[in-house]
Amino acid sequence: MSIKFVICLNKQGALRLIRLFEPFSGDANSSQSTIAQIYKLISSRDHRHQSNFVEFSDSTKLVYKRYAGLYFVMGVGLQDEELIYLSHIHLLVEVLDAFFGNVCELDIVFNFHKAYMILDELIIGGEIQETCKDVILERVNYLDRLS
Amino acid sequence: MGSLRSFIKDVRAAKTLAEERSIVTKESARIRTKLKDDHLPQEKRRKNIHKLLYLHILGEKTHFAQVECINLIASEDFRDKRLGYLAAMILLDENQEILTLLTNMLNNDLNHPNRYVVSLALSTLGSLMSPELARDLYSDVENILAHSKDDFLVKKALQCAAKLIQKDTSLVEVFFPYINSRLVSNQQSSHGVLLGVAKLCQAAITAKEKYEYDNYPEILQSMVQSIPEFFALLQDMNFTSFNPEYDVGGTCDPFLQVELLYTIRLLFELAPQETESYKDKLNDLLTKIATNSDGAKNSAHAVLYECVRTIFALQLDQSLKVLGVNVLAKFLSGKDNNTKYVALNTLLHVVPQEPQAVQKHRKFISKCLFDPDISIKTRAVELTFAILNDSNIKELIEELTAFLKLTSEDDKDLATYVVEHMIGLFEQYKLGDEKWALEATVNILMIVGEHISLERLSDILIMINNARDLDHKIQVIRRILDVSFAKSGESVSSANLGWKLVSAWCIGEYGDTLLESNIYLDTELTGYLRTLDGLYSDDCKIIGYVLTAALKLSSRLQNPSCIEELRQVIKGHNKDTNLMIQTKSVQYGILFNLPAKEKHDILGAMPLFEKKPKSGAAPAARPKFGTKPQEPDLLLELLDDDYPKKSTTSNAAGSLLDIFGSAPQSSAKPENGKGNDTAGLTQNLMTIPKDAPEAFRSTDLDVHMKLKSLNDYEAHVEMFIHANASINSLQVLAAVSKSKKLTLGSLSASTLAPRENCRQEMIITGGGKPKLRIKLTFNTGSPSITKTEQFDYKFDQ
Repeated sequence: MSIKFVICLNKQGALRLIRLFEPFSGDANSSQSTIAQIYKLISSRDHRHQSNFVEFSDSTKLVYKRYAGLYFVMGVGLQDEELIYLSHIHLLVEVLDAFFGNVCELDIVFNFHKAYMILDELIIGGEIQETCKDVILERVNYLDRLS
Repeated sequence: MGSLRSFIKDVRAAKTLAEERSIVTKESARIRTKLKDDHLPQEKRRKNIHKLLYLHILGEKTHFAQVECINLIASEDFRDKRLGYLAAMILLDENQEILTLLTNMLNNDLNHPNRYVVSLALSTLGSLMSPELARDLYSDVENILAHSKDDFLVKKALQCAAKLIQKDTSLVEVFFPYINSRLVSNQQSSHGVLLGVAKLCQAAITAKEKYEYDNYPEILQSMVQSIPEFFALLQDMNFTSFNPEYDVGGTCDPFLQVELLYTIRLLFELAPQETESYKDKLNDLLTKIATNSDGAKNSAHAVLYECVRTIFALQLDQSLKVLGVNVLAKFLSGKDNNTKYVALNTLLHVVPQEPQAVQKHRKFISKCLFDPDISIKTRAVELTFAILNDSNIKELIEELTAFLKLTSEDDKDLATYVVEHMIGLFEQYKLGDEKWALEATVNILMIVGEHISLERLSDILIMINNARDLDHKIQVIRRILDVSFAKSGESVSSANLGWKLVSAWCIGEYGDTLLESNIYLDTELTGYLRTLDGLYSDDCKIIGYVLTAALKLSSRLQNPSCIEELRQVIKGHNKDTNLMIQTKSVQYGILFNLPAKEKHDILGAMPLFEKKPKSGAAPAARPKFGTKPQEPDLLLELLDDDYPKKSTTSNAAGSLLDIFGSAPQSSAKPENGKGNDTAGLTQNLMTIPKDAPEAFRSTDLDVHMKLKSLNDYEAHVEMFIHANASINSLQVLAAVSKSKKLTLGSLSASTLAPRENCRQEMIITGGGKPKLRIKLTFNTGSPSITKTEQFDYKFDQ
């Protein structure tokens, strides 16, 4: 039960956020092609009539969800519980939304470091560490004021 | 040099890819120069690192800034530290030597008076854990756990402790007391801390395998004692308090609930005896949760799903299992594809445990066959096969036939999988109702004949041939031919080769019976063969069958003009470019001219055909859809096209050739275990050369590698496999590094008796000493199980 990576892609497949908690399998240089494969896989799926889970490699399953023009994707183990990771994604998006106030892609593009900060208060080393939205928000708002 | 914002704007404003590249490369070079300047103000340094992180998102190389991260962390300014740690988490990974530089910084910051700095250090440690960091820093983390009252730090420290244990199992001893102390001492722990406790407990449980000291029983005992606390927490979250802070769509903190359930499950799995006394309570609790949560939201489903997983993983009471299956059935009946997906996945594992309970929900499973989502469809198909038995076979085959009707070209693989299995099933269940089985087969053939493999087609032919009741047989043949001759309302597409092939075979085999009962005219039968001959002149499989049918039919006809036509069909191919067809045509030409009596004797009706039992995989081992295709098979099939006689030689035609004794006998495919052909036998006795060193050894087989030749651009490698036990369905998969290319020859034998050898040749192009990763898959033992061995080998000489 551990998240291998969190990535955020836009509808055109451009990478917006990437945090690897485990290196991608294969060469370090191939991470771009791994991301391209992930994009190819999820963008071809019908987001209304298909599930939010798809097997990606023989050790990794993707749990993903599209919010407006952004895909949020988590890589998890094949035996992991899919549904709860979907809730993880939702929690992350809710916090982003509350922090930026109706978050849009550009917020994340220009403030990627803040998005990373939020991610770090939500997840540590691939494990969820805090589930209360208010606690996370209070914390990141405070940290944000420090700069 | 502009701000981060203007840099991002510039990149986004680039109109072409080339323009974007040029902006990015220029900026990257500029950052590189700037960072080398020791007198750069801190603020500018931060800006550069921010830009660098953006470059990282764009997929640029950023390794040159790794030392800069360390410099920032060393600064006393919180803003520098924060960015430095963020950059370290993103740009460094566990394997880099630079981590040793980080150790000292982390050591300082973990003991820093400012809680935000400590928090940063903990987050970073959690992300970048390595055995060395674990060894050097565990005492700092323990210090925080022992003394800090700050939930923010404690929750992170607990998570870090779990990671530390993963890297160094001996640390279980240091950290396990904190599981209980955190649970018991402080009832009001925040959920973040509880999540950390759950994680730490999970890590301590999974560490057991590698834990080297003998005090593990004590540790286990201490964890088992925390079970009532876990129960109480779950109870509390579900039934007592309403806590708006943690509410997710009507469910109280599903994240923590799932983690706790998972922890409990691991504990019960690890220590069945020690936890026995808590089992009743667990049953109670799970029953309550599973019956009480009625939320339709994903969060409620997540908790329910984890309950169900726990029930089946721990093999709890019968009543709970039934409850579990019912929950899954509820998932299936809903509209949410996510729950359908997880329900089908779980049911697949549950079927062997609870066949009856799953059966009850057959209609939901069948509904999922028609879901638009291919992954749901695939699992529904697998599940349908899993629940199939004597009593429901008819209904389920009907469902599957309906499913096949609706498959499109996209689902071709799935359709093939279904067909192969359905035909296999007809044999396996030895159906009482022969007529129904024959009709069902014809239906399938009509829908997806083009996807049926030659081997399965011959199974169909055998089924028709072996039909006990002559009336049924004739009815089925009539049904097939009526469609072929466009006498009935139905029609099949011209791509349905399987159908054409079966039609041709029926005409050849049963021409006389059909003519005697005046069902068809002799000109119709002849005409159809001629049409096939004309339409599919490129397809050697069909033509092979047409030729045999023409020859056979000719001995069953009186009409001279028809006989002449058939002669022309056969003669037409005696200059065929396909050697196999040509041989056949010439040989049949000779037979054709034999005196009628002899001809009639040779070409008489086929006897009952006994299919040799498969010695390979046990029938119970139902292969999963989507497992790796058997590569050696594919290879054989490729070779088959050039191999004289093979492709037309269905089992039936094979025995025909036996009678003639004139044509080269086809070799049975080794993977079916249909027989050890002579070639196989001699090869199996091959000896391993003395100069081939051993590369791998296991109880089932030894592997020797030999470098036959090596030059600047190509290496020729021979691999010998020596069986220590009886092995079949052996497959060799090999991989080389990316810069090289591998050509895999054919495996000399895939079925080996003990002490037999086989050989695999490989050619590796791309210079240098070859380095290989080999994976061997095979069935062995009785009952046969599939094993996989993998090893790496490098040639040194």
